[in-house]
Formats: sequence, structure tokens, C-alpha cells
Amino acid sequence: MNLLKGTLDLLALKALAWGPMHGFEIASWLETRSDGRLNVVDAALIQSLHRMEERGLVKGEWGVTANGRRARYYTATAAGRAYLRTEGAQLADHVDALATILALRPSSR
Amino acid sequence: MRLAIRSRHSARRDAEEELEAVLQAREEQLRALGYSEADARAEAVRRMGGTLDDVIDDVIQSAEHRERAMSIRETLSEFGDDIRISIRGLRRDALFAGFVMATLALGIGANAAMFSVADRLLLRGPSYIVNPNRVMRVYRHSTRPDGQQATNSSYGWVVYDILRSKTESFAGVAAYSIGGTNTFGRGANAELVNVGAVTHDFFALLGVRPEVGRFFNAVEDAPTAPQHVVVLGHGLWLRAFGGDPAVIGKTVTMSDETYTVVGVAPRGFTGPVLSPTDVWYPMSLRGAATTSRWTTAWNAQWLQIIVRLKDGVAPARAEHDATAAFRAGYTGTSSEDAGSTMTLGSLRSTPSGKESLEVTVSRWLVGVAAIVLLVACANVANLLLARSARRRRELAVRVALGSGRARLMRLVFTECVVLAAGGAVAGLLVASGLTTLMRAVLLPNVEWTASAIGWPILAISAAIAIVVAAAIGLAPALRAARTDLIESLKAGVRESGGQSSRLRATLTIVQAAVSVVLLVGAGLFVRSLVKVKSLDLGIQPDRVLVTRLHYPSHASVLSRGNGAEVTRRASVLESAMRRARALPGVEHASLTIGLPFQSAFGQKLRVPGWDSLPTLKSGSNPLIFAVGPDYFETVGGRILQGRGFAAADRRGSEPVAIVNQTMASILWRGRSPVGECLYWGLDNEPLTVCSRIVGVVANANNWRLREDPMFAYYIPFGQERGFGGATLVVRPRPGLETSVMTELRTMILDLDPAVSFVRTTRLQDEVDPQMRPWKLGATVFTLIGVLAMLVASVGLYSVMSYLVAQRTRELAVRIALGARTASIVSLVFRSGVGMVIAGVIVGTIFSIWAGRFLGPLLFDTSPRDPSILAGVGVLLIVVGILASVVPALRASQVNPADALRAE
Repeated sequence: MNLLKGTLDLLALKALAWGPMHGFEIASWLETRSDGRLNVVDAALIQSLHRMEERGLVKGEWGVTANGRRARYYTATAAGRAYLRTEGAQLADHVDALATILALRPSSR
Repeated sequence: MRLAIRSRHSARRDAEEELEAVLQAREEQLRALGYSEADARAEAVRRMGGTLDDVIDDVIQSAEHRERAMSIRETLSEFGDDIRISIRGLRRDALFAGFVMATLALGIGANAAMFSVADRLLLRGPSYIVNPNRVMRVYRHSTRPDGQQATNSSYGWVVYDILRSKTESFAGVAAYSIGGTNTFGRGANAELVNVGAVTHDFFALLGVRPEVGRFFNAVEDAPTAPQHVVVLGHGLWLRAFGGDPAVIGKTVTMSDETYTVVGVAPRGFTGPVLSPTDVWYPMSLRGAATTSRWTTAWNAQWLQIIVRLKDGVAPARAEHDATAAFRAGYTGTSSEDAGSTMTLGSLRSTPSGKESLEVTVSRWLVGVAAIVLLVACANVANLLLARSARRRRELAVRVALGSGRARLMRLVFTECVVLAAGGAVAGLLVASGLTTLMRAVLLPNVEWTASAIGWPILAISAAIAIVVAAAIGLAPALRAARTDLIESLKAGVRESGGQSSRLRATLTIVQAAVSVVLLVGAGLFVRSLVKVKSLDLGIQPDRVLVTRLHYPSHASVLSRGNGAEVTRRASVLESAMRRARALPGVEHASLTIGLPFQSAFGQKLRVPGWDSLPTLKSGSNPLIFAVGPDYFETVGGRILQGRGFAAADRRGSEPVAIVNQTMASILWRGRSPVGECLYWGLDNEPLTVCSRIVGVVANANNWRLREDPMFAYYIPFGQERGFGGATLVVRPRPGLETSVMTELRTMILDLDPAVSFVRTTRLQDEVDPQMRPWKLGATVFTLIGVLAMLVASVGLYSVMSYLVAQRTRELAVRIALGARTASIVSLVFRSGVGMVIAGVIVGTIFSIWAGRFLGPLLFDTSPRDPSILAGVGVLLIVVGILASVVPALRASQVNPADALRAE
């Protein structure tokens, strides 16, 4: 499904709250934790990470994975954590509102 | 962190590598889930959103796009930040900012003001001249019998006619005679206006268009039948007619003759000169008023000639052409004139071909103002150096916090731009004040059209400000870039290395030296002016009113053959003198024929014992004055021997005379001439009537402030023959000059209704213009010299203050080690006063050297006058002491414990 604009950023930030991860780890983390319901486009995730790096929400560094491959690891900055707190709360509220509305059933006449 | 740090190329490689890594990881995951290799690959690409080549450009491009937008926004916001930071920093250091801006304001203001004057006098010249470089004035050079070269630019109409008809080189030839005044209007409303007579081709040659109506044409300026038409100046048109275009075709009265207005000149049009003209009228009218043979006469010279060169004709060729035409056409009798050479010169030159005083003065002004700006820049650079030394720590902290060096340089540079902008704005205020002052005081005879502060001034101020900002911003910015982090942090606010303090000392010394030079100039001119003013002129013109009666000119033509009218007018003047003498505000009044600085007459003179009178160095013939009984009291002459004239000395009484001191001492060789005879008379009669000498009077200057002595003798008013034209001179009581002027005018108009205009002037007004060079020099140099001194003393004060601030630790150590207050004060004091003394020495040496250029401009004053050099030196040192005393006292109050702990 298509995610709302900015949502991917928040999801990636949320993933990074568990510690530094590289791009594929974040994608996998999102798939696992959503029970396979969220399949993000990998290129879109990388774009999102780059965008957040420029805005100072995450910090990227080249590192080596457990099986010896080079990968770019991302860490949430203080600004990123603050962003996640405020924007995450707003998004949750927003989603709740959507769910409430979508759960409504027309009452019997 | 910004991506911009990474180069574009490596950014792409980075992204590729990252995407590739994700792609591989995905493939591995899928294969682990049981996908075949080909399926895993296809699925990984699908999940990526496309092949690497497909997505890489999306990733890179969107990054680059964002980056570009961000870098523009960032640059702008950084620039804004810089300005904000600068203003905040400067506000914390308000005294420093105030000093710098005030200094710059003076420098920029003086320059902008000088430029506005120079713009008119040096660069643009008179307004409304199309292509002014091709318009030139014609000069004539001849060799006098004594071998001296003479240059002038006055001609008769005949020369204009020759140049107009017998030359090939000119697109136009015109003549003008600007200057002199006429009465305009009638009766009580009459005013004196400046008039200019010009040939009909004059306006076309310059290229000016009329504001309203037209200029006069060849028919109206025909030598045989000139018509009474005038073109009004713009100022008079507004004054007398409220700027009404319907004035065209109306008649106006000038010198009691009637003229038709045909046009109005545009605002600020002054012809080829800079002084204003109110009424332009045809040259042929002017010519007809001189002599009856004015179109052919060679000895009447009253007009100046201007030409416009044809395109492609070089001035040298045109001069050759004009010379040939003049020599071929000359039919006069003077052999010295016949061989004249014609040259073409700039309109800016005076009639004798020299640079006009106004131009010389504006040259000085520009030069001196440039010096002041230099001093101001030196001062500001000095202050900035001191400040940047003090800010080393702050800048080092900024570097430590990650500011780039380039950014730091920009910060310091921005601060300079902010300071220069502030200085320029304040400078405009200074400029507008100075310009108004200079126009009014120094150059009152120039018609200024532009307002004091116009676009040129704004443009120049902005340009100066930018150049100044670049100049003063450079050194501190470079120093900021070189800032050595660790060293600076360790050193604190103390200064490391003596290089910059040497630079600052040099700048301070230079400022003091320039101040000395300017103040010496001021002193020399002030002394010249004092000497000029205290000159013994033999008379005291400062309290003498000169009154002339103007009669309608047609009446004056009538009166030539009308003895009764002449007698009537003489008696009117006589009664006017008596009534003037009776006015309560008047001390003395007298009639006179001939008056120093106004008019003089000569008659044949014989003195017994001399076959012919010796020729004096002045070359002047003996001057004769016919004066009333109260004359010497009125003008302030001094009788040295014998007596003045009494009421009994008059027409018909015994002929008597008074001689001046030069005559007495040379012709009577020191013996008293009182009781001796002198004989004077007209050229064509024998000298037989003895005028008995009754007194000797002190020499009086006749034309110039400095002139060689002349023979002068005085006879009683009424005994004159062969010359005439009486003037009423009045000596009012001190302070009553203005009211007496009005009373005289009313009284005379009351006495004789036929009088069309009474003109009363101060004799001093005839003398003052001759003092102008020294007045100008004194004013300009004093003004600028004091400015420079103020700037320099402010500079010294601030440099000393910073020095003390920087050396607080050293002073604290000294105090802690037991140095006494007095020795601390003297330590600081010595370095401040030492710089000033060095500046005074350098400045004095330079002044002595520059004296050779100034010498010719001074009056009775040596350019190396020791008392002025010494006086200026002492003044500067006193100012230096005052500027050093406060910082020195502050140094003595350093608390060693606080100061040492602060580090």
C-alpha cells in the first residue's frame, strides 16, 4: 500500500529507536514488526533516510555488517528523536481518527 | 552536516554502493526463503522500485534538487545571520561602533560634499551646453612693447564679425558680454538685475532650448536696427511673473526703456559662465550704447567670443585659422595688436586665460577631502585591528565550534560593511550640511541648480563606502582567517606578537602627521587672512557707504546737451549730502569724484623743480580726486601735515590741493610741501594756475590690497574741470549701516522723483572679493584640519584604551610586583604621547617640505613660519596628552587579583 507522505520517515525513525541500523535492516524490521503487512519500496526508504540525514534527523556512517559487508548505518539524532516524539504522536492520533471514521457503520433507519 | 561537503561525484558513488548493498541483502533474504536465484533477483528489483540504473537517478536527483534549494536558502539565511551577528556584536561595543561610524561619516561626508562642488566646477561646467568639449573661448596673445606677453579675451564686435565670416573651422561663432546690472521695473518696485548681452547665434551655439517662447533672432539682433527684445532668466521669471507662460509678448521696463519678452531661459542656464544672469538682450543693443562706430571700432573691447569646433577639426588647426583671419582682417592702428596670435581655451578659464579661483579652490577641496578620508580609513583600520586583536579569543571559539574559516572571514567582512553603511548614512547628513555651507560661504557667485544632495552624491557616497569597507575589511578578515586556534585560546585577549601593534602605532603616527600638515596649512592661511585684514589701506572701508543715483537712461541722453539738467542733478546730490549728514545715524558724509576701489581720474600735472615727473614702479599716472570738506573723515583717511579741506574751499575760491605722502616725499624730497604750488589742467591748456598745497594725506590703496605706491592729489569738490560724476559717501555710526542704507534711499527718492533707482553699497564689498583666496584657504584648511585632528585624537584615545585593555595582565603583574601607580600611568602615557610626538615630527618635516607649494598662495607669511609650526606641534601634543590621560588613569586602577584571575 502507499504510505502517507512523511509516514515512512517516522517509521524509519521508530526503527532506529532500537539502535543504529542500515537501510535493509530498517526495511526488514518494518516488515517483521508489521507481520509482513508493510512492504516499503527499498529505494524510497533510502531516499527517506537521505532526506532525514540532510535535515539532521539521522546521521549516516559507513560500517561493516555481521557477515562482513559494507553498509551505511543510520543513527537517530537528538533532533530525530524529538521529531519522532511530536510527529509520531500526531500521526498516531491521525490514524486513530481515520480508524474511528472507517469503523463507523450507518445506523439502522 | 551538509551533503555539500561531499563532492557530487562521490555522492553518486556513495548512493550506488548503498543501494547495491540493500539489493544484495534483499536477494540473500529471498533466496534464504527458498526463491530461485533468478526469482530472488527479479523480486529484489521489484521491491527496490526498479533496477539500480532506474532508481539511482531518482535518489541522486532529488538529493541534488533539495541540496540546491537548501544551499540558496542557507546562504541567504547565513548572510542575514552575519548581519544580525554583526549588529549584535557592534551593539555590545557601542563606543567602538560609534567611533568608527563617526570617523567614516566625517570622511565620507567631506568627500561627498567636495565632490558635489567639484562636480559642477571641474567636471560638468555650466549647464545646458551640448557637447561642451567642443565649445571654447577665444583668447588673444600679444607682445607688449616691453617684451611681456599679454593674454586677454576681450574684443570689439569687429573681431566677432571676422571670425564668423572669414574662418572655416567653426560650426558656430558667438559673442557675449555678461555682467553688469540694470534696473528692472519702475519706482519702489524696481530691482537691480544681472544682465547679459549676447549675439543671436549664442543660444544655438551652446545648444540650449528655451523654457518658454523662443530666443531672439538675427533680425532682432541686426546691428543697424536692433530691437528691444529680452529673454528672461528662469529665476526672474518666477520672481517677477510667478512663472506665468503668458509673459511672452508682454513688455517690461529695464533702465526705463521698454522691452518685449520673447522667451524664458531654462532653470539654471547661465551661458558659458557660472554666475547667474537675469535678463538676456541682443548684443547689437549693447553695441549701440557704446559708440556710434561700434561695428568697426578696434579700440572698444567689451565682448568675449566663444566658438564651437566643426566635427573633426582639431583645436590647433582652428587656432591657426583664427589667427590668420584676425591678422588679415585687422585694420586698427596698434602694431602690437596686429601681430596677435589667437588660441582656444576652456570655458573654465578666466578672461586672462588662467584657471579661475573657483576651480583652483575646488581642486584644493578635493585633495584635502581625500586626505581626510585617508586619515579616517587609517583610523578605522586601526580601530578594527585593535578590535580584532581583542576578538581573537571569540573567533577562536567560533572556529572550535566548527565555523569555517571562510565563514569567519565573511563575518568580519560583514561587520565592516555594516559599519561602512552606517558611516555612509551619517556621512550624507554631514555632506548636506557641508555642501550648503560651502555653497553659501565659499562660492556665492555660482548658480547652483542641483539640490545640495543629489543622485551623484548618493552614488559617490555608496561607492566610497564600498571601497572603504573593502579596504578596512581586508586586514582584519585576513587575520581572522589566519587565526591559530590553540595559540589564540591560550593567549586569551593578550596580543601575541608585536607586528600588529607596530602597524597600529604607524597608523596613529600617520594620522597625527596629516593633522599637523593640515593644521599648519590652516594656520598659514589664517595668518595670511589676518595680515590681509589688518593691512593699512590708508582708508577704512569697513564703514563707508557709497551711494549712486540712477536716472532713466533716455534722460541721460537728453542731459548731454542740457546744462540745466546737469546743474539740477548736481544740486540734488548736494542736498542729498546735506540731508544725509543731518541723519542721526550718520557721522560724516561727503561728495567725491573718484573713490578708491571704484573709480579714478588722471589730469596733466606739473610740479615746480621737475621737468617731467619721475615714473613710479606702479607705472600709474598721478591720480586726481575732487573731494568735499568731510571726505577724509568719511572714508577714514589720515591728514599727516597741514589741514584737510574746509567748507570755504569750493568752486571759485582760491585753488588749493592736498598731496599724498608718496608725492610729498618723492617730489619735495622730504621737505614739507605745504605752501608750495602744483599745477594741473586739461591736456590742451597751459598749466598756469597755482594750486597751493595745504596738507599731506597718508597713502591710500586705489585698486588692490597690495599695490606699488602712486602719486595722488586732492582738490576741493567744485574746483574740478574736465572730469565729473560725483558719488555720495557716508560714514554711518557703528551698527547702523543697514538702517542708514534704507534711510538714504527713501530720502533721495523723496528729494527727486526723477531718480529711478538709488544704489547703496558698502565700500568693503569692493575690497572683500580680493580677500577671498585667503578667506577660502583659511576656512577650508581650518575646517578640515580640525576635523582631521578630531578624528586623530579619537583614534589615539581608542587605540590607547584598547592597548590598556590588552595589557591588563601585564600591568596587573607589574602592580602585583609592586610598581607604583605613577609609574604605571607614565608607562601608558609615554607610549601615547610618544606616538603623537613622532607624528608631529613627521608632519612638521612634511609641512616644511610642502611649504614651497603653499608659499605663493600666502600673504606676507612665510610657509615655514616657526611660530605656527611650533603652535600646531604644541596643540597636537596637548591633544595627545588629553587623549592618553583617561586610558592611563584606567591602567593605574587595574586590580591585580581580578585581572589575573580573569585569565
